[in-house]
Amino acid sequence: MKRTLRRVWNRLLGSLRLRNSDVDLADEIDAHIQLMADDDIRRGVPPAEALRRARIQFGGVDSAKEFYRDQRGFPSLDSLAQDIRYSLRGIRKNPGFAAVAILSLAIGIGANTAIFSVVNAVLLQPLPFPNQDRIFAVREVLPRFTSSIPVNPLHAHEWAKHCPSLEQVALIRNARYQLNSGGEPESIIGGQVPHNLFSLYGVKPILGRTFLPEEEQPGKNRVVVLSETLWRSHFRADPGLVGRTIQLNEQNFQVVGIIPAWFRLPFSAGIVEQAVTVRMRIFSPLVFGQGELSRLMGNFNYNAAARLKPGATAEQALAEINVVQARFPQQAGSSTELKATLIPIHELIAGRARLGLWMLAGSVGAVLLIVCINLANLLLSRIASRRQEAAIRTALGASRGRQFRLVLMESLLLSFTGGVLGVLLARWLLQLLVASTTLDLPRLEEVRLDPYVLAFSFCLTVLTGFLCGALPAWRLTHTNPQESLHSGSRTATEGHGGVRLRQALIGLEVGLSAALLILAGLLTTSLTRLLEVDKGFDMHRVLTVDLRLAGNLYAQEVNRQRLFDRILAKVNAMPGVHSAGIITALPTQGETWLDPIYLEGNTRPEGRHTVNNRFVSPGYFRAMNIPIRAGQAFEDRDRDRRVAVLSQKAAKRLWPDVPNPVGRRFIAEDNKPVVLIGIAADVRATLQDEAPPTVYYPYWQRVPGSAYLVVRTAANANAAAALRAALRSEDAQLPLPPIRTMEEVVERSVSERRFQMTLIVGFAVAALLVAILGIYGVVSYSVTRRRNEIGIRMALGAQRSQLLALVMRQGMAPVVLGLAAGIGVAYFLAQAIRGLLFDIQPADPTTISLVAAILLAVGILACLIPAHRAATTDAISALRID
Amino acid sequence: MLIWETNMSSTAEVWQGTLALMVLKTLNAMGPQHGYGIARRIEQTSENLLSINHGTLYPVLLKLEQEGSIASQWGVSENNRRAKFYRITKSGEKHLASELKQWSQATEIVARFVALKGSKA
Repeated sequence: MKRTLRRVWNRLLGSLRLRNSDVDLADEIDAHIQLMADDDIRRGVPPAEALRRARIQFGGVDSAKEFYRDQRGFPSLDSLAQDIRYSLRGIRKNPGFAAVAILSLAIGIGANTAIFSVVNAVLLQPLPFPNQDRIFAVREVLPRFTSSIPVNPLHAHEWAKHCPSLEQVALIRNARYQLNSGGEPESIIGGQVPHNLFSLYGVKPILGRTFLPEEEQPGKNRVVVLSETLWRSHFRADPGLVGRTIQLNEQNFQVVGIIPAWFRLPFSAGIVEQAVTVRMRIFSPLVFGQGELSRLMGNFNYNAAARLKPGATAEQALAEINVVQARFPQQAGSSTELKATLIPIHELIAGRARLGLWMLAGSVGAVLLIVCINLANLLLSRIASRRQEAAIRTALGASRGRQFRLVLMESLLLSFTGGVLGVLLARWLLQLLVASTTLDLPRLEEVRLDPYVLAFSFCLTVLTGFLCGALPAWRLTHTNPQESLHSGSRTATEGHGGVRLRQALIGLEVGLSAALLILAGLLTTSLTRLLEVDKGFDMHRVLTVDLRLAGNLYAQEVNRQRLFDRILAKVNAMPGVHSAGIITALPTQGETWLDPIYLEGNTRPEGRHTVNNRFVSPGYFRAMNIPIRAGQAFEDRDRDRRVAVLSQKAAKRLWPDVPNPVGRRFIAEDNKPVVLIGIAADVRATLQDEAPPTVYYPYWQRVPGSAYLVVRTAANANAAAALRAALRSEDAQLPLPPIRTMEEVVERSVSERRFQMTLIVGFAVAALLVAILGIYGVVSYSVTRRRNEIGIRMALGAQRSQLLALVMRQGMAPVVLGLAAGIGVAYFLAQAIRGLLFDIQPADPTTISLVAAILLAVGILACLIPAHRAATTDAISALRID
Repeated sequence: MLIWETNMSSTAEVWQGTLALMVLKTLNAMGPQHGYGIARRIEQTSENLLSINHGTLYPVLLKLEQEGSIASQWGVSENNRRAKFYRITKSGEKHLASELKQWSQATEIVARFVALKGSKA
């Protein structure tokens, strides 16, 4: 075995010409014959005769050499090497073509590899949870909301008690922890979780333990579990940390365990089913507030996870939960229908990116297909001029397979070079992508060129090589050599077959480009309309920063109120500040804090209206330029009375028939009456959805633990730095995240759409360019090939305009056909990506006609140049060419 | 007289194997030799019963070298001619020993059949 392997290795080396040159063998044979002759000479034979005898005795020198050569390497490998050398020669002879081919393939394969890496990491790779198919997020469903909402803790406890299919249910309350570990105080995202959460997800601590059931009681809950990431970044991975006490929110917490870095919880920030990709880094035991576990409906403030028993199905579990859900509205005196939904954990984390990513993957695949078609077309043209050579080869006995292989080898060489460059390009693109801080894509940090991706690129490269080369190779080998030897002379117009084939390919290219352009147009219009939609507020020249009050000092409401009062007074007095205010949740970040409002004396369930609750300072409406439609906004003198401002929609809900209800009373979130003092314009909670009904209360009515400061400034570049300094001077310990403009906040909310749109526009433009080149190349080539025919037509009296029309007609026919087909395809594709469109129909006539116009225009342009050349052909020189 | 076939048919394989054995044994007994020396020695050993077409020797030498049984080096012959000298390697000696064992077993078996006396014989 070892000997055989050794021999194979040495033969491989032999094939690569690294050992045993032919010269060596020739010398050796010469020496052999000489030595043999020497013996005879010594016996007295004349030298010439001795040499003759020796040669006879040796036998056929050439046959020996040939046999030796066959043994030295692998003959099939040698001919392969020969094919490669031949192809390389062809490529060297035509460096322009090779450069274009390799570059376009590199871009095509690179873009596909990059997009596939994202698809692979986000959608295909399983999450690291064991048994992830049994873990679901549970959310509640109320008819009033278009999407599901977080859960009520009492409801969740009832599911756990009454649903046999559920093995475990755990609630998660999002939390922020202010960590002082030297330097700037930091606000770190974490969660308050029950003791069974970690076992539900199947995660074991790498150090220490997780929580005990008794630690969920008030007073015993001063323990934390840290993520490995935080442990490494803030505590130098000190194994002695477990058991020690750290300061969080200015309180002592004992670290009891460290959980591995891969553990992530889907962190749903708002009511929308959007799981933000932030990883929680600090966990403390979940302790419920007073009365929380006796309050039905409302308080939909928790994320819930459920783990099914082995063998139970999601349908079963959901049916059981829905039975429990049906009881709650009745008990709470409401008539709405309450249901629930189970979302697979992977779906919750990555689901929202699915449609967009598959669309991008499809588009980038289409671009590569267009590139392949174009190269196939170019190779076809080149093949046509090599037909004569091929015919001669066949006539001399080259096998069809060998000829086929020769052409395929050339395209494979191109595709492999392109593939290698493409993977390098993808690596660079991915670095850009992962480093991008504006793109909010789930699992983005997991995107990398792993072995799956490389295998994909390899297969793609091989496939590309075959796609480009197979058709030309087939054309070349399936022609009658005799015919080729005749028609190969440049005087004859090419047969119909070749022309038809090339036209079909052009039609395909144009069709794909048209479809891509239409999709790109629809997405661009969607994003433009989304950004231009009347948001209800003015985002220009507004700065915002997240204020999170933690620690002993701010545990008391009065201290929080004092800080907010001081900050607002200070910022309002800053030069260049037009107005400043605070609010508990910014627009564009989703619906949150849902509680009902109703009229005094209302007993009917349908009279209770669930609305978004916001706590704001008087200056908020001015800072965001939200118009007050009736009455007025809050004033400082309202501090000693209970007042509220409603959005127009909320006011309409309470008093559908009253034109101006200002001054009337209704029951607020705390079940006590308030006076309506003003009606504000509707403000969208997310850009794509209609504004929800909203109620605004002054912040002193229930001082929040965290709020967003919004500041309208005169255009001043230094405003952010001045604002930061002002805030620092009020409380040096306050964690201050970066100050953003409201434009950035809005932009962030559309970052995924912008990412999709930018890429697909890029792909569509690339497709268009390649298609133009394709049209031009084919028409121009056919004009060159038909020079002789054109000359004859001219000699016979054809007018220039007739020739122009002839070329244009033949050039544009596949463009028009392809365009029609592309529009049809785009119609179905646009239906499939309906979820990504905003305020535009999948069959938007403006977009379609615009794309048609663009494609026809560039098609005509691409045909016009060669057509003009045909029309200005000099008949005499055209006929004289051979 | 035997003519050594140089095609790849199965009978030639047997003879090639045999030739390889002869080459190895020759090198083992005589020490480093050039191609001509090996050919001459094989003829002498067979007392000229075997006349080999010297050209066929080289593919065999190549195969043995590729397998690592022999190694080659350019040198100078006894009458001052530049020639390539082959010598048997350690692994070649091992190979030779096992081949010889197999060969003697095979000949022994064949010899028994040759010695078989039938009722008609």
